[in-house]
Amino acid sequence: MNDPRLGKLVFTWEEIKQRVQEVAQEIDEDYTGRRPVLIAILRGAVYFAVDLTRCLTVPFDLDFMALSPFRPGLRRAEIEKDVDIDLKGRDILILEDIVDTGLTLNFLVRSLERRLPQSVRVCSFLNCPARRIADITVHYFCFEIPDIYVVGYGLDFQGDFRNLREIYTLHDPSGRSTQILKEMGKGR
Amino acid sequence: MGNFSVITVSREVESLGDEVALRLAKRLGYEFINREKWVAILRDHRDSLSPDPPEEEKEREEWVKAVGELLQGMAERRAFVLLGRGGQKLLAQCSFAFHLLVVAPVPVRLRRIMQRYKQDEVTASRILAEQDRQRERFLLRFFGVDWRNPLHYHLVVNTAFYDVEESCQLVLEAMKRTSAPSLGEQASFFETSGFMERPVAFSHPSEEEFARILDFYGIRWLYEPRTFPLEWDSEGNVVEAFAPDFYLPDFDLFVELTTQRQKLVWRKNRKVRKLRELYPEVKIKVIYARDYEHILRKFDLEENHE
Repeated sequence: MNDPRLGKLVFTWEEIKQRVQEVAQEIDEDYTGRRPVLIAILRGAVYFAVDLTRCLTVPFDLDFMALSPFRPGLRRAEIEKDVDIDLKGRDILILEDIVDTGLTLNFLVRSLERRLPQSVRVCSFLNCPARRIADITVHYFCFEIPDIYVVGYGLDFQGDFRNLREIYTLHDPSGRSTQILKEMGKGR
Repeated sequence: MGNFSVITVSREVESLGDEVALRLAKRLGYEFINREKWVAILRDHRDSLSPDPPEEEKEREEWVKAVGELLQGMAERRAFVLLGRGGQKLLAQCSFAFHLLVVAPVPVRLRRIMQRYKQDEVTASRILAEQDRQRERFLLRFFGVDWRNPLHYHLVVNTAFYDVEESCQLVLEAMKRTSAPSLGEQASFFETSGFMERPVAFSHPSEEEFARILDFYGIRWLYEPRTFPLEWDSEGNVVEAFAPDFYLPDFDLFVELTTQRQKLVWRKNRKVRKLRELYPEVKIKVIYARDYEHILRKFDLEENHE
């Protein structure tokens, strides 16, 4: 994609496919004999949820949740789209595109725990612990990234780039992202 | 005594709060509950509650609820003076609990420590800072209470001006005059309006914005609740200190927002480094300008900070 707002390539489609497959295997092993409820968080996690669930062999139920985005004037986050499944006694696996500050996820986990599930775990496509504020565990993730802003594979910038199959940085005139990627052996 | 069958006494270290509480209990014929008695009460409870709130959030919420109910039940059956233990928070909704805070200026408390423990001023200063810190930490961590906030109390007594007997007289007089306890309603109001328990004068718009984001996700916070001494002179006076912007009790985490440009940040970094050395148990997260930009970008907010 030729867009001046895009920076360097971080993860190729091949790398993504391979890691999604590996994470699916981990989930298969951990949930053997159970039927988890997979809750994909709209909108960013849709692409990851589709690819991940295609690789799973354990039976599962799939549902979606959406939180109200932060905006001035709205005092508290609200669940705009809730799951239709009764979660009491169920094993919940939350699917996220990225966990960075953990503020949204912390809110979600607390909301879901109030419904008395058997367990709540988190599976995120990307994990960015460098930006973490809320103390929250990400049980499964495909890639850990440093403190850089990335787009693609569900992650957007002002609504764009969600549909990219790969992960890119945003164009960073300071060169900081490029430097970090070099250290990772990335950034073609 | 009037409408109050319970008195909770919160106190600064060496403020004579213990002595005031004991004297009040004797004078009124109320049961005196200090830590030892408190541990025994919780141990004998049908669910055998732990003396301190559990670390884990969900368990802690259950603990606070259970202990609050226990205290409420006790308050309906007997009169007592509860010393510390977060009583002002646990019984904030109890209409027959009188909440007292006993304080004294640092030099006065320092002098008392020097006399009591036969220590020089520097050592006494360290002891005082450490004990204050422990008390503050306990209440922040487990109850999310900025315990020095006078709005938690019916009365605040400064024992630099009144001795134990005079302080008791003040309390008894105040209890007589307070005919309609409304502190519980007041506390309830503050709890439902975010976590802010008083109007906060933020020193930078980015802090206010960050507080709104925390409120939005239901994360409890306190603004600059604690100042960490970093350096003392030879007489034990604090010559350098650092007050991180936020404390998030749910994560036991201090957060410092640094939206200045990088070259202006070195001074703050030095303070944070020092804080980590002196207080290794304290968790602190520094959010730099670029981190903050990422947060704003994530929440689709304008990057208008300087």
